[in-house]
Amino acid sequence: MINVKGNIPLAENMNSPKTGPNKQINITAKKRLGNWGEYKTGFLFASPWIIGLLVFYAIPLFSSIYFSFTSYSILQPGEFVGLENYKNLMNDELFWKSVYNTVYFAVFYVPLGIIFGVALAMMLNMKVKGMAVYRTIFFLPTLVPHVALAVLWMWLLNPGFGLVNGVLSTIGIDGPSWLGSETWSKPSLILMSLWGIGQAVVIYLAGLGDIPEDYYDAAEVDGANWFQKTFHITIPLLTPVIFFNLVMGIIGAFQQFTLPYTLTQGKGTPANSLTFYVMYLYDNGFKFFKMGYASAMAWVLFVIIMALTAFVFITSKRWVHYQGK
Amino acid sequence: MKQKKKRMGAIALMIVLTLSMILTGCSSKSSSSEKGSKNQTTVTFWHPMTDVTGEAVDAVIKEFEKQNPDIKINAVYTANQGEGQNEKLMTAISGGNPPDVAYFDRFEIGSWAAQGSLEDLTQLAESSGVKKESYYPFAWDEASYQGKLYGIPTTTDSRLVYFNIDHFKEVGLDPENPPTTIAELEAAAEKLTKKKGKRFERIGFIPWFGQGWFYGWGWSFGGEFYNPETNKATANDPKLVDALQWMTDFAKKYNVEDIAGFTDSQGQGAMDPFLTGQLSMKVSGPWEVSAIKKFKPDLKYGVFPIPTPTGENHTTWSGGWSVVIPKGAENKEAAWKFLKFFGGEEGQKIFSGIARDFSVIDSVNEELGYKEDPILKEFVNILPVSHHRPVMTQGSLYWNELASAVENATRGNGTPEELLTKVNEKVNKELSK
Repeated sequence: MINVKGNIPLAENMNSPKTGPNKQINITAKKRLGNWGEYKTGFLFASPWIIGLLVFYAIPLFSSIYFSFTSYSILQPGEFVGLENYKNLMNDELFWKSVYNTVYFAVFYVPLGIIFGVALAMMLNMKVKGMAVYRTIFFLPTLVPHVALAVLWMWLLNPGFGLVNGVLSTIGIDGPSWLGSETWSKPSLILMSLWGIGQAVVIYLAGLGDIPEDYYDAAEVDGANWFQKTFHITIPLLTPVIFFNLVMGIIGAFQQFTLPYTLTQGKGTPANSLTFYVMYLYDNGFKFFKMGYASAMAWVLFVIIMALTAFVFITSKRWVHYQGK
Repeated sequence: MKQKKKRMGAIALMIVLTLSMILTGCSSKSSSSEKGSKNQTTVTFWHPMTDVTGEAVDAVIKEFEKQNPDIKINAVYTANQGEGQNEKLMTAISGGNPPDVAYFDRFEIGSWAAQGSLEDLTQLAESSGVKKESYYPFAWDEASYQGKLYGIPTTTDSRLVYFNIDHFKEVGLDPENPPTTIAELEAAAEKLTKKKGKRFERIGFIPWFGQGWFYGWGWSFGGEFYNPETNKATANDPKLVDALQWMTDFAKKYNVEDIAGFTDSQGQGAMDPFLTGQLSMKVSGPWEVSAIKKFKPDLKYGVFPIPTPTGENHTTWSGGWSVVIPKGAENKEAAWKFLKFFGGEEGQKIFSGIARDFSVIDSVNEELGYKEDPILKEFVNILPVSHHRPVMTQGSLYWNELASAVENATRGNGTPEELLTKVNEKVNKELSK
């Protein structure tokens, strides 16, 4: 739900390097405003989508604001309780634990995702024979459903016979019991999530393809080395794409659900170290009959994501470079 | 090249055609089965059973339809029902379009009844002679909330400790006299365990493994979890604290992370550590018997009741399923007939006979020979003193909170007393709402 909101202005930003601000479009749009007949037909054709949006998106969205102020349980209408749900949240230990877990995950996953994503994309952008094969290999994991991914990694991280500890033991390290340990369960999850980075890599690759060859040629004439080319041409020109993936990464990280849910069968074990925000929200709504409380949680999450996204947008003016500006 | 393309096209066309045939085939089949003949009432029945239990429920339905030609049961497999994952049924009820009958985990009856989402069956039961006396007391009580009946019990189970006879002999323990006290259990576990560094080659016992839930240990230590009169959780009962303290000491002695490492590497089915001989004793239910028969028929094993501190007053706990009529069901009358049949002696005999799940009726268990089987009889014999989890509005919350208290205590995140007091506060706060 929420990522759609962040998406719209982004899409404009993504396009702007190519087209730039186009006054022509604005003028034609104004002309058409008078032409109601065409609008009617347009709306008519778009109506299934518009109705769908209202019924399945807008109404539930606004109802959930109301529900967050009630003791709604799905099965019973519930009473208006004012801010009580929000107050209770502040005193809920497991709520704070789930916030901590989620922030912990986001703090490591998002930056690591960008570093590995860009590095991988740059490697996959080299002119080597059989590149299509490599690209496919790195994209494949994103096609694996999260449930299968969880099962696969449970094997790899198995302390007894898992591949990861097997490799570690060859260099003399006695690996931890990964998913059985409170200390290592979150790093394990971050590792698993990074495995599905292919989607972002594809976007980085597209961004890399947009950088004009001339820049590199010019730099080469001036005697620039690989580092200089990377940090003065590639990275700066890739910042709009990095920006996009940063925002999407933050939103995704805060909505982490399927992977830890499958891994722990919904329990967030060991000792709630994998109870993520949305998992606890789900438990409240569907297991404990506290849909009002869950709605309040959803809105708190919305505010958190909104604030972070706004922060990234504001700072982006300092570090995101658009060509032609 | 051209020919190749043509052939590819033909193959694609064939795939599309077969797919569409399958799809239309499915849809026409389901629509015809829903209609039935004119004076037939169709009862929609949601259940999550597959495999043997699926066969068993089909047999029950078949017999019921034979006896009641005017009722047709439309059984719909609905995944993930039960164990707090009932969102499909929940939304169907709140949307006003529920099935007529649902197969339902008895554990949830209390909270759903409190939400007013199940039909009260008390009067129907009274008028058609369905009585509490026919059932095990705990099963009937678990299907009732505040003195009213909301479900007809169908299956049950109980929990005992399984042990490996060969392992017992190997370390000089007497398989004829398995542990009865907690101290004896601990001594046996120590003898049976083989640990090299951080890794267990074999572990004697893990209290929380398999069905070793805190409810079982709490009751075995003589504690009580809930006071129905005051509607208050009593998680900080000193006996429950003792039970959790014992689990915590166990975790400390063998190092809980090493145990977690061991249990993480274990599989299910044929790879279960008890079957592979890496675990000598474990708490489990009667279903383990058929698993052993299937995956490791030559395993020599026995069962004994969960030990208690004194070696007396052994107990266990039972869960199980029931059939309920969700609020707003269309064909209440026909649905009740099906409930009565399923939970009655005849239906129970058919179901339990195929599924090999215990019936909630003692005479049925006897008739099906469960009391003659040397292992299963132990499970049946303990049923009369079995406990059920508290029937309360916050059953799922309580369960989750107790499970995390055990995890936190065994991992040293707080003392058992502190943690259980916190559980108590949280659950009671919700109960008082």
